[in-house]
This record gives sequence, C-alpha cells and structure tokens, in this order.
Amino acid sequence: MSPLSLELGLGLLGLVLLLVESFASVPRKLIAYAAIGGLLAALAVIVSGAAGSVPDSLKEFYVVDPLALFYKGFAIIATLATIILSLEYAPIIHQFVATHPERTKEAGLGEFYSLPLFVCVGMMVMASAVDLITIFVALELVTVSFYVLVAFMRRSAASLEAGVKYLILGALSTGLLVYGMSWLYGMTGELSLSGVAYKLAHWEGNSAPILFAVGLMLAGLAFKVGAVPFHIWIPDVYQGAPTPVTAFLSVGSKAAGFVVLTRIVGTFLTPGSVVAGPVIQILLILGGATILLGNLAAIAQTNFKRLLGYSSIAHAGYLLVALACIHTGGLKMTSGEVAAFYLATYLPMTFVCFLILSAMRAKGYGEDIASLKGLGRANPTLGLALAIALASLAGLPLTAGFMGKFFVIFATVLEGYYTYLAIAVIGAATGFFYYFKVILAVYSKPDGPSEGPTPDLGLLSKVSLAVFVAAILVVGVYPDLIRFALVK
Amino acid sequence: MLENYLPVLMQMLMAAGFAGVTLLASVLAGKSAKRNKMKDSAYECGMLPLGEAQPRFSVKFYIVAMLFVLFDIEVVFMYPWAVIFKDYVAVFGAAIFWWMLSFVGILLVAFLYAWRKKALDWSS
Repeated sequence: MSPLSLELGLGLLGLVLLLVESFASVPRKLIAYAAIGGLLAALAVIVSGAAGSVPDSLKEFYVVDPLALFYKGFAIIATLATIILSLEYAPIIHQFVATHPERTKEAGLGEFYSLPLFVCVGMMVMASAVDLITIFVALELVTVSFYVLVAFMRRSAASLEAGVKYLILGALSTGLLVYGMSWLYGMTGELSLSGVAYKLAHWEGNSAPILFAVGLMLAGLAFKVGAVPFHIWIPDVYQGAPTPVTAFLSVGSKAAGFVVLTRIVGTFLTPGSVVAGPVIQILLILGGATILLGNLAAIAQTNFKRLLGYSSIAHAGYLLVALACIHTGGLKMTSGEVAAFYLATYLPMTFVCFLILSAMRAKGYGEDIASLKGLGRANPTLGLALAIALASLAGLPLTAGFMGKFFVIFATVLEGYYTYLAIAVIGAATGFFYYFKVILAVYSKPDGPSEGPTPDLGLLSKVSLAVFVAAILVVGVYPDLIRFALVK
Repeated sequence: MLENYLPVLMQMLMAAGFAGVTLLASVLAGKSAKRNKMKDSAYECGMLPLGEAQPRFSVKFYIVAMLFVLFDIEVVFMYPWAVIFKDYVAVFGAAIFWWMLSFVGILLVAFLYAWRKKALDWSS
C-alpha cells in the first residue's frame, strides 16, 4: 500500500461527502461520522505501519520518513478533533449561516464537516513534500480551505472580518514565499530540496541573492506560523473565526507551517551551506521576539480566544528557537524532532481548551475569561480538564507542556544560547501568570446571582476530552511515548 | 561583503528613480492650468456623472467570475496535455488518458456542486 493512497482516499472521501451533502438530504451528522470513520481508518493504517513506501521515481518530490509519518498522524488527529468539536459547535454555525435559522435545521453544516478533510489532505502531502512546487501546492490547499472555514459564519460580522484579514495577509505571505522560491530556483536551478541543499553546500561567489530568497521565504513562513513581527493577524482571526476553526488553525495550520519550516530550514542549514549562519540568527531573533511579545501581550487579554491566540504566538516562538538549535545530540533528537515533540504536546492541551470553550458557547455563554467563572462548580469534570490543560500550556511539571518546554530549553543550553535561554525562561514565567488567571476564574464564584445552564459535552467529545487529558498527564511523566513515535 | 549588494541597491534605485521621475514629471508638466469646478468634476464621455462611484453589484457576478476562472484554468492544463497526447500514448499506453480523466473528474464534482447549489441559476 502506498502512503499516497491515504491522501487520495481522504481527498476522494471529501469530494464524495460534498456530493452527498448537495444531492442527498441525509442528516448532516452522518456526514461528520463518515468523515470521522475515514480519518480513523487512515490513522489505523499509519499507526499499524502499513503505510509502506513510495516508488523511487517519486523520491525527489515525496518522501516517507518517520517525521513525515508523524506529521501525517498529527494532521489526522487534529482533523478528527476539529470535526468532533464542530459537532459540539453545530448550533452556532447553523445560527450564523442559515437565512432563516428558525425554519431550517442544519444549514451549511455539510460543507463545514467535509472541508477539514481537504485541509487534512493538504497537511498530509505537506508532511512528505521535499520539492518546492509540491510544498507550495500542498500549502495552498491548506490555506485556501482555511479561507473558506474562517469566513464560514457569513451572518457574523466578526467571522467575515476575520476571513478578509486572513485572506489578504495569507495572500501576501504566499506571495512572499513564492517570490522567495522563484529566487531560489533562479539561483540554484533546482526545485527539489536535496538539489538545493547540494548547491548551497557547494556555492561559490555572490551569496546575496540566496540570502534574499531565504529572507523572503522565511518571512512568508513566519506569517503562516504567526511569528513576531508577522503575527498581527492572529488575535483578530482567532477571535472572529468559528471556534472549531480557531482550534484547527492554531494546531493544524501551525503544524503545517512548521513541517515546511523544518524541511526548508534543514535544507538551508545543510553542512557547509553558505547561508547557515544568517538563517540561525534569523530564527533565533524571530523566536526570541515571538516568545517575549506573545507572552507579554497575553497578560492584558480578557477574551479567552484572544488569549489563546497570543498563547499560540508564544508557543511558535519556542518552536522557532527549537529549530535554530541544531546541535542537539545530547537529547538524541534532531532540532526538527524537538519541534515535532513540542507540537505533539501542544495539540491535546489546545484542543481541550477549545472543546470546553465550544461547549460553553453552545450553551449561550460568552467567550470572555469572566464567563468561565463558576465552571469548576457547575461541571467539576470540565473544570478540572480545563485546569489541567491550562497548567500544561503554562508548562507545569508532570504535564506534557513541561516536557516540550524542557527539551527546547535543554537544546538552548546545549548550544550555549544563554540569551535565548533567559528569554525562554522569562516567557515561561509570564505564562504561569496569565494561564493561572484563567484557572482562578474557573474556580471562583460566578458574578451574577443566577446560574446559567450547565455546560456539557456529547459522547464523542467526552471520549476525546478524556484521551487528550490522559495524553497530557502520561506524556508529562513518560515523554518517550511520543519520542518512540518520532525516533525510530 | 557589502559590495555584493550593489546590484540590489542599483535595482532599488532604478525602481525608486523611475517612480519618482514619473511622479515629478506629472507634477511639473501637468496641473499647470488654472483649476475650476468644471475641470475638477469627473469626466464621463461628456455626460453628467450619474449615481455613485461604487455601486453594489449582485453577488451572482462574482460567482460566475469564479466559476469562469475554475473552468478556464482547466483548459490551461488540457492544452499541453492534448499536444503531447498522441506521442505519449504511442510509447506509454493509455495511462495519460486516465490521469486527465481523474483531473476532469475532480472538476466535475465542483461543477455538480455549483449546479446543485444553484450557482448557475441566474434568475433565483
């Protein structure tokens, strides 16, 4: 079985579901269940190791290494969680899509359940792509699907505003990335990353055009992952987009950006490369600024989605610093694997936060931190889950988030980047302040005298919530669980 | 080190210079006559301007334009395919036919979707 057939199969499933959505009047939930079933099957193939390899003729464009398989599984899990979240959030989507919400029942939900599949296909191809054009096409599949998803609630001004902002800045960043790629191709005459790496290692003469290409490509990718100073769009888009899409953006889109960054930075940092020094400097400065700004700006936030937006900026900073630390032999992991580990710990904690946020929103609560007040008493299970996820985001020991931060900080020590070590520690300390502010809200008394409806979750969401919380706690004690999946 | 960037500097100077000279020329050569209200009004084939400068268009126009681009791009791929089709089939067999068919199949799904969602129905 070729791993490409996974992508083709999921893409086909997405197309079939779109047709079912438009021609048959089945309950929209069935479309979501079909998507979940397809994703679970694909996940089973990857976990069982039956994904196999690709023929040699494809190896210039598409590789299947442990990192690729890891990110493919990551993409599938993120998509699964997003669709489960969407089931929870369905009433809100319907309310803001339908022309007459009171007359229809499930307007727009068919597309909302099938579009994530296309994002997933794009991310899976991207995990394997080692060719500039393949990378670009896969990235565009992800981004274009996200444009639609972000602006999905067409009767909500906030969602439309988020969509327009995301579209314009996304187009700009894509332009920067492609322009950089064209310069790189123009200078090296190679499209495959291995070819580019060989040319960079044996470069003679003027390196300024290469640096120009590198700068443009890194700027374009920094937009995608939300690194300072290219982060301005993140808080507004995260706040305006439908909550499941926000979760998908902050995990899926970020991971997609980082798998491309890992491959491209790996090419730039190939031994003997002419641009190795500047690229490490750029990554470190971007990462340091991102950690500082993300964490400091998060302190002032009162909206929970916005706070998570800034938190995702801060986490991108740690990931960038991780990519810059290439001498990580002491950790028995490469810099790309440290970043992948970090992302794998980031996924469950983010999704727990957004699951609970969706459940609250579907019951009519607001998205402010203040509206979380009383959750710990109204539904102690949800309150505890949220508290664990937030503690993990902050990096409390014995949670997954701590292990992720620990590896990054350890990598900076191994490299001797003490300035960035200090920045990382300052950022983590700041994180404790604003994440624990939310935990404090969860366990404090509600402001109003009357208590609203108790937030609750459906069965699928409960199962995934339990899995994610268990993952946070187990990985916090036993990080090798993820490391074994990465380092084979 | 820095002299490596001389071409970049030259290109930037050229770009800025061209834009600057053009703007300067239009300031110096144009706007020299006296202004009056008639001259400053919008010119519309000698008619008096009617309505707003930015009227609202029906969203149908955008949908049609989008579908046009979709199926227009399809032909961009089909042209080179059709050109090499005969030679390729003679050497490698019919695989090339099925590749294009799968591509057109994906577009067919898009077409069916658009049709079913009444995107092609102008009167509704």
